[in-house]
Amino acid sequence: MAMKGKNCVAIAADTRFGIQAQTVSTKFQKIFELGPRLYIGLAGLATDVQTVSERLKFRVNLYELRENRRVKPKTLLSVVSNLLYERRFGPYFVEPVIAGLDDVTSEPFVASLDLIGCPMVTEDFVVSGTCSEQMYGMCESVWSPDLDPDQLFEAISQALLNAADRDAVSGWGAVVHIIEKDKVTTRTLKARMD
Amino acid sequence: MSRRYDSRTTIFSPEGRIHQVEYAIEAINHAGTVIAINSKNGIFILAEAKRPSALIADKVDNEKIYKLSGCMVGCVAGITADANILINYARNQVQNHLQAFNEPAPVEKIVRQVANVKQNYTQYGGLRPFGVSIVYAAFSREGGFKLYHSDPSGNYASWKSICIGANSSSIIGTLKEKWTPDIDLTGAKNLAFEAYCKPCDVQSISSKNFETMVLTLDSDDKPLFQALGTDEVENLLKENNPIKAS
Repeated sequence: MAMKGKNCVAIAADTRFGIQAQTVSTKFQKIFELGPRLYIGLAGLATDVQTVSERLKFRVNLYELRENRRVKPKTLLSVVSNLLYERRFGPYFVEPVIAGLDDVTSEPFVASLDLIGCPMVTEDFVVSGTCSEQMYGMCESVWSPDLDPDQLFEAISQALLNAADRDAVSGWGAVVHIIEKDKVTTRTLKARMD
Repeated sequence: MSRRYDSRTTIFSPEGRIHQVEYAIEAINHAGTVIAINSKNGIFILAEAKRPSALIADKVDNEKIYKLSGCMVGCVAGITADANILINYARNQVQNHLQAFNEPAPVEKIVRQVANVKQNYTQYGGLRPFGVSIVYAAFSREGGFKLYHSDPSGNYASWKSICIGANSSSIIGTLKEKWTPDIDLTGAKNLAFEAYCKPCDVQSISSKNFETMVLTLDSDDKPLFQALGTDEVENLLKENNPIKAS
């Protein structure tokens, strides 16, 4: 999930990799850095999470080499949308979430997409994953506009942990990135390992 | 007499030469100079970007030096339109390697792939060869700082220091004399400007015409690409220009 704050954004994910009921790994990376202030989180089929992030890195690298500048969050949204729609009739089973600060204006940005690339930009938060309904409920309660980085961290952590605790196949560890203009803080949360 | 063997790339002349390839190499000798020097602690590249008219907007995009990946840079001399195709191809190949192997593309592989594309146009299809020479500068964990050069025929080799483009033969002469294995980056910068200025007409040298690139390692031992500032270029020019501009 990702949330907007005052001049900052946060993106968080659990770290479970499971095959139905069996938990295979508790350290699975789902959030990938595509720029100094731009992150994408991918929920869904693990193999597609990894492949989509690699294919996306390919396109973003080429963009940056050709344009000689960093990709904007809004543009990244379009790149991901295009990548996913190319597979309209045999899609990647991922639901991406994008969080970042604009390169030039440092404007916060969050967005999410469905598995065939429908983009959605929101002013508050985005969620995706098996416990998305729980996450919607939690985010709606804890989020308020213009939270500062520390408040945002508390909000997103509580939202993620409590939503994941109400879902049997989510959880087993969590990681949170707080993205501010001058730094990115990454914290691992102490979560219920069940 | 051997004119009849000129017009197609796909035939040899009786002397065993492919004339179209040689004419392509000739075309490059009219293009802007690129000098690249490998030193102990980095690579210095000096490229002359020719300004055919005063109306051309001040440099927005690079014309000579292109970043190919996080550890590799390609400098071109020759027909810019041809160069754009090859640079784009090289960039795509770098990303393909990154996607398949999750590691930075080794420079030799990219050089070889681009060279193979160039060679294709000397043997198949009846299309003219690419009129571009490319100098690659790269850093890798295994090989350190490396310089490669490929010409329109598709031949490539690794070099200690190289010059392509206008005045390349006389500049290579200077480099041969003055390059030593223990030259450092400052020495390389001075050597490049000295070698460039020697065969040149002093009036036409202006610091605005240069694109520069310094490839070193940063504090985390990762490759770092920087261009020289205009002041530094001015200073190096002043120090190494044998005839002071009046």
